[in-house]
Amino acid sequence: MRMITRCLVALALFLVLAVPAGAEETIKLAGMFNLTGGMSSIDAPALNGAKLAAKLINEQGGVLGKKLEVIGYDTKTDQKACATAAQKAVSDGAVAGLGYGDTTFVNAAAPAFINANLPFVTSGATHPELPKWHGEYFFMVPFGDDDQSFAIADYAANQLGVKNVVVWTDNSMDFTKALSKFFKQRIEELGVNMIYEDFFMMGDKNFSAQIARLKNANPEADAVFIASIPNEAGLTTKQIRESGLDLPIISADGFDTELLVTVPGKKLANDIYFSSHTYREDTRPEVLNFIEEYNKEYGRDPENAFAPLGFDAVGLLADAMERAGSTDGPKLRDALAATRGYEAVTGEISYTRPSRVPVKAVSIISVKNGEYKVEQIWMPEI
Amino acid sequence: MRLPRSFLFTLLLGVGLLLVWFMEARMSSYFLMVAGFVGINIILAVSLNITNGFTGLFSLGHPAFMAVGGYVTAILTFPAMRKAMFLPDLPAWLAGLELPFLPALLFGGAMAVIVALFVGVPVLRLKGHYLAVATIGFLIIVQVLLKNMEGWTRGPLGLSGLPAITNLWWIALFVLTCIVTAWRIKFSSFGRRLQAVRENEMAAKCIGMNLFLTRIQALCVGAFFAGVAGGLWAHLITVITPNSFSLVMAFTIVVMVVVGGSGSITGSVLGATVVTLLTEVFRPMEEQLGLYGMSEVLMSLVLLLILILRPRGLFGTDEPIFLLPDEYRGTWKAKGMKKK
Repeated sequence: MRMITRCLVALALFLVLAVPAGAEETIKLAGMFNLTGGMSSIDAPALNGAKLAAKLINEQGGVLGKKLEVIGYDTKTDQKACATAAQKAVSDGAVAGLGYGDTTFVNAAAPAFINANLPFVTSGATHPELPKWHGEYFFMVPFGDDDQSFAIADYAANQLGVKNVVVWTDNSMDFTKALSKFFKQRIEELGVNMIYEDFFMMGDKNFSAQIARLKNANPEADAVFIASIPNEAGLTTKQIRESGLDLPIISADGFDTELLVTVPGKKLANDIYFSSHTYREDTRPEVLNFIEEYNKEYGRDPENAFAPLGFDAVGLLADAMERAGSTDGPKLRDALAATRGYEAVTGEISYTRPSRVPVKAVSIISVKNGEYKVEQIWMPEI
Repeated sequence: MRLPRSFLFTLLLGVGLLLVWFMEARMSSYFLMVAGFVGINIILAVSLNITNGFTGLFSLGHPAFMAVGGYVTAILTFPAMRKAMFLPDLPAWLAGLELPFLPALLFGGAMAVIVALFVGVPVLRLKGHYLAVATIGFLIIVQVLLKNMEGWTRGPLGLSGLPAITNLWWIALFVLTCIVTAWRIKFSSFGRRLQAVRENEMAAKCIGMNLFLTRIQALCVGAFFAGVAGGLWAHLITVITPNSFSLVMAFTIVVMVVVGGSGSITGSVLGATVVTLLTEVFRPMEEQLGLYGMSEVLMSLVLLLILILRPRGLFGTDEPIFLLPDEYRGTWKAKGMKKK
């Protein structure tokens, strides 16, 4: 038994030491992602996007004369691993960190970079108070939850003419609770009546109770706003439509998923509206180019909006490095803060607001009979 | 030559302290974080050993005690101003309170003990698998409570930006306390009572032992150290959320205990170290080869091998012979084991 343990340990050490330490003279970016575990369907495409961006940039000659390297750190959907991997990334000489699609993991990993005066750019976490919590070295690539909730609220009130709405909130995630909070805030300002708020949890499979209450809503509901993540998007839509209700279903970027159409089927996936990153069904040249390159590199279409977001995070950092003329932490940070009108795949990024949440366009996307279509582009006020 | 035990213990202590000093002075922050987690996992494994290994109570609720201890410590060390902003429902006396690390940790441990008492009274009447499932239920209850008591705990968002006050010295202090406590318990009449309950409950009852009291005591001691470990954990990562302490963590700690040997303190220390380091050792390989998830697969392989080839774990229920107290050495002789 002891011999076997010794052999295993020896093998492990051998593998660790024998594998080459990595290329010299590259600019290292730490891609912090949950490549295994519950968040992997969101984070893995983001890392793919990030690595694709690095590859394309290197083909054009790299940044500041050096090759860009995105090292993926798998943090296994576990906060402890986030903190450890972040420390490792800093020790490995990364000049900046990027990644994640969810606030919880960003909060665990970002401090290691921030404390070392290295910028952290989140590709997918959307809570608008993130830059405030983490300080000057923190930047967001996507818009904030407040913007996307305001966008869909405006569309519902102005375009769909919704006067009475029911709100369903996933009570187990901070992302969905933030969406609801901002949505409710906006509809109150617009004079739309929220009949009542209903709750469910991530992982719920049966929504018959909520649907029964929805049917009996008094006054009758013009629409139902569902704050959920992709898993529940398809299920709720399917069950609502199957119960005979055909009122508009509205949501935010949690509904930006193939599951919305594949789970209910094309016929039932009807009269759905959600706000999301300006990417799906968009015809801008950056988007088309990205989809083409992604297909060339990985042999399939980008899985979800997080792929271009990861791509944009690297692109943004590279652009800032060129403008700063260096990879030094504070200088890079200043260049990032000065970003104006960077043409990202997911929209134009400018950090003009003091909250350092980018002023980005939001797409309102409709699903009619299983077909996605961009109905409107909404811009935040500032 | 048989060295006196006190000398050996002092030597081990000296080596340990020297190691901690060396690591703090020279090694990178990444190394220190990994070493920190090794220490915290040692505390968790040894404290679980007291409940599971010595007493035979298959408790999967350890992460719940960590959560209680972690949150209490975090709330107590949170700057008063941020408390007002983030946790509006805290009662006034708590909202203004801001404690230094040690009292906060001890308070966290104490709260975990109080929760253990609450939970132990109904749950410890059960045995074996029923106890295990009941403790899982307890774990879920704690998680749901933390998620929904938003005014007190900030709900699913959790508390972030905690002061990073955990360092190797604090962890070493509690590792030492935990191991010494476990050791003293194991080789005392209290420890013998625990092991009697584990071996044969009927016989223990027959000689007049109060089963319930003994089991509650075991649960509470384990819970205290789990609570302290939770507090240390929270201030090492600087973030604490309700999902941090899940069933997966419960099983990970059980794995550490099983790998080392259920009932052996040295085994738990070794098991915790091996399991924690194994995942980190394989990380460079994962990154270079792009084979993410490899380390978990390899760890499962190691666990399988140990369970097949040596199901008692690395140490079984024993401690290294040269560290055993004198009266125990005789038993080894009587069992026919080779003298070292």
